[in-house]
Amino acid sequence: MWKDYSADFLKNNRSSSLSVRIAAFISALLLSLLCGLFYNAWKYEVERIQQEEGGWHSRILGEFGEEDIETVKNFANVKDALVNKKGSDSTELVLDIYFDDMDSVFSDTPHIAQQIRVPSEKIVYNYELLAMYLVRDSSDTAPRLLFPMFILITLGASFSLIVIIHNSFAVSMNARIHQFGIFSSIGATPKQIKTCLLQEAAALCTVPILAGNLLGIAGSMGLMQLSNILLGSDIPGRHEVVPGYHPLVLVLTLLVSVLTIWISAWLPARNLSKLTPLQAIRNTGELQLKRRKNSHFLSLLFGVEGELAGNALKAQRKALRTASLSLISALMAFMVMQCFFTLSRISTRETYFERYQEVWDVMVTVKDADVDTFEEMERIQGINGLENAVIYQKAMAKRMITGEEISEEMKSFGGFSHAPGNYVTQTDGGWLVDAPIIILDDNSFLAYCEQIGIAQQLHGAVILNQIRDVTNPDFRHPDFMPYIKAPGTGENAASILRQSGNEEMTARIPVLAYTEKVPVLREEYATLNYYELVHFIPAALWKEIKGQIGGVEKDSYIRVLGKENASLEELNMLQDELGQILSGKYTIESENRIREYEINNKQIQGMMAIFGGFCILLAIIGIGNVFSNTLGFVRQRKREFARYMSIGMTPKELRKMFCTEALVIAGKPILISLPLVIIATGYMLKASYMGVGEFMAEAPVTPILLFMLAILGSVALAYYLAWRNVRKISLAEVLRDDTMM
Amino acid sequence: MEILKCEGVRKVYGSGGNQVTALNGIELSVSKGEFVAIVGASGSGKSTLLHILGSVDKPTEGKVMIDGTDLSKLNQTEAAIFRRRKVGIVYQFYNLIPTLTVRKNILMPLALDKKKPNQEYFEKVVNSLGIAEKLDALPSQLSGGQQQRVAIARSLIYRPALLLADEPTGNLDQKNSKEIIDMLKLSNRNLEQTILLITHDEKVALEAERIITVEDGCIISDERRR
Repeated sequence: MWKDYSADFLKNNRSSSLSVRIAAFISALLLSLLCGLFYNAWKYEVERIQQEEGGWHSRILGEFGEEDIETVKNFANVKDALVNKKGSDSTELVLDIYFDDMDSVFSDTPHIAQQIRVPSEKIVYNYELLAMYLVRDSSDTAPRLLFPMFILITLGASFSLIVIIHNSFAVSMNARIHQFGIFSSIGATPKQIKTCLLQEAAALCTVPILAGNLLGIAGSMGLMQLSNILLGSDIPGRHEVVPGYHPLVLVLTLLVSVLTIWISAWLPARNLSKLTPLQAIRNTGELQLKRRKNSHFLSLLFGVEGELAGNALKAQRKALRTASLSLISALMAFMVMQCFFTLSRISTRETYFERYQEVWDVMVTVKDADVDTFEEMERIQGINGLENAVIYQKAMAKRMITGEEISEEMKSFGGFSHAPGNYVTQTDGGWLVDAPIIILDDNSFLAYCEQIGIAQQLHGAVILNQIRDVTNPDFRHPDFMPYIKAPGTGENAASILRQSGNEEMTARIPVLAYTEKVPVLREEYATLNYYELVHFIPAALWKEIKGQIGGVEKDSYIRVLGKENASLEELNMLQDELGQILSGKYTIESENRIREYEINNKQIQGMMAIFGGFCILLAIIGIGNVFSNTLGFVRQRKREFARYMSIGMTPKELRKMFCTEALVIAGKPILISLPLVIIATGYMLKASYMGVGEFMAEAPVTPILLFMLAILGSVALAYYLAWRNVRKISLAEVLRDDTMM
Repeated sequence: MEILKCEGVRKVYGSGGNQVTALNGIELSVSKGEFVAIVGASGSGKSTLLHILGSVDKPTEGKVMIDGTDLSKLNQTEAAIFRRRKVGIVYQFYNLIPTLTVRKNILMPLALDKKKPNQEYFEKVVNSLGIAEKLDALPSQLSGGQQQRVAIARSLIYRPALLLADEPTGNLDQKNSKEIIDMLKLSNRNLEQTILLITHDEKVALEAERIITVEDGCIISDERRR
């Protein structure tokens, strides 16, 4: 049959099999892209583990000499054994072992350890790395999700592709049911028909599969490069991706593509081969409805053409289901993503970057350094291009608040009645609350005293007398009120701080002022625990009381503000100079506000590119389904249109009907997803206490409109291409066909 | 009153050595209210003639006038509107729209012109054709005979100048065939509908008042029976 019929048919009907070729190409492209991306993700993970943990497979800790190391090296299947100098110390050596065959790591390492007389408890496996090669041990209980995720996603992708391409094959094959009915009537067996259809599918899909695979490989490499451009290697913990490919991945991709396409072709071929000759001959493949349907809305809007378009769409519902679902999901995901990231960007900018724009430019965390013994502050203050700098350290203590001390305003929202037990402890004498201590260097504390308008002195604390109305959950617009009632200051005013965890240990410190103004630091107060009573004290005072209450954090922080409108280059220089001053004596980590802002933007862009890519893939699946449907239904629609024309429908009216169909296919997902997105965005705005106007000023209207237009344009193109074929109707010829019923 | 006139109508398919002459110099005149049967063997050219009269196809040569309209001068859109308003065509295989109900199928030519049906006339047609009970059904839910009645109702709804029936009983059993012919005769008598019936069944042709025989694309006889 192949030689006598199919080869000629394919040769003479190139356009009718175009939808199948396109479907096969899109499938191969997506699967190849997926496999390529997975391979690169896997490669990246292996590189990351090797960079962070090392490339060793197992490790033995203990005391052993050169001879033992030689014994390990000579063990069959051991590729190499090296002493890890970084992990070793004078008492214990760390021997990293590399195997030729990783499968035997868990069986061979105990034998090796036994040979060099090291107990098995001293064996460490690089579980994370081994899992990347699918070498697992029952003692490794951590979930390693990369492979299961890949298998799940590939299965999901293959399944959805089968649904789409199967429809393409079905449309293309069903258009020829009549011919196969004739074959069947003259003695072709179902097996022969099925084989013939599958041979046709193979002939049609070979080139698209190969082309799709190659483009998918290039696409995956390109995406990896794009991730380098978008995310760079500035992000902590991220290294640059070196795109790669492996022949085995190509074999796997081809296998998955061929299997997916074979199942897609086999499903309709099986159904078609099962038809009796009479069923096949009488089947015209024309759109039918099983039950009476009405398209009132379309009929009202577009008249009789609208009604016919609505009925045609209802008859094609099954064929267009994937398109519908994919386009709705793509639009929903894209719009929600755009709104979410816009909201997140506004929120981060307002609550972080704008709020702290005049507060800090460079933040340095000085590891294991105490503010009261820190001596480099003068040199730091002398850096060129620096406006001011503060060094501070944080400590945690407790303080008792009595009933009488609670302010009337705080009482009005219930005092401590809403306080969770883990933050506030009620005792006989009152409520024991957290009292975070911010220890400022002495100069900065004196400047702070001046800022709040009190005499500059170093023998007391300034207390942040502020609590937010805990009954108002709007974190963006909180209501602040005094915490403590009419607090007095002066010689007798004091605050008794208690050691956290050992409240018997106390330190009585004078109170210089109760205030609502805070020093210029990159700190937020009472964000989790609203009942904190923050104390600002100078380093000199801390030196006196630290023995009594302790609870200090190990690290200190230096907040540096550069000149106004400093550029990134200036801040980089500032950061370098700070590094030069501190890195000799301390271990430091430093952040740069502008770079952080840029990294944050890059991360958001990167995330948007990844999610956007996912949405585009979904949309491509949907559009691919529309194309495969419109390119495949030409024959059946010609019949349908001939019928309309025979009773007096003009080409203009036919075009109107066709346009209505395209409009509904593209417009329906928009109409369905838009209200849902509005509801979801409304909910997000409510949850983040952001005003609608504030969001609307930066609403992602343009990208959303572009995405919608792209979908509308693609559907319009699919229908335009189909219309070009469908409109060429020879009415007399169609009417001569005796299957026109 | 002359409703149809064909002058030297010729239709040739193909080109060069593959040319086939389907109609060769047809001269025909039909008056209003006539019931004419065109008979001929398979391949004689009778269906080609019907397609040309229904403005579905165009003659290679000659002139066709129906109710004062020269069909050879119509473009595609004009031809469609002509089909909608001036001729009703009944096909052997009904040619109903499978996604529309019987009512909507019948009213389709009017709906395309955004016209409301004359309810009295609509009821008269569906009652006389015996399909009043089936108006809300889909074509696929009807028998062949019922579908052909719906096709006749649709062809009559616009009160066309000419009703063309192409083997309307070709797909029906004897009982249904007789009923369909009776209905055509009824519409010819009661509505003064001009009908041109194409058939190869002599028994059916004998029901007409004028029988034209076509052979090899030419009219070889034109017999008035009453």
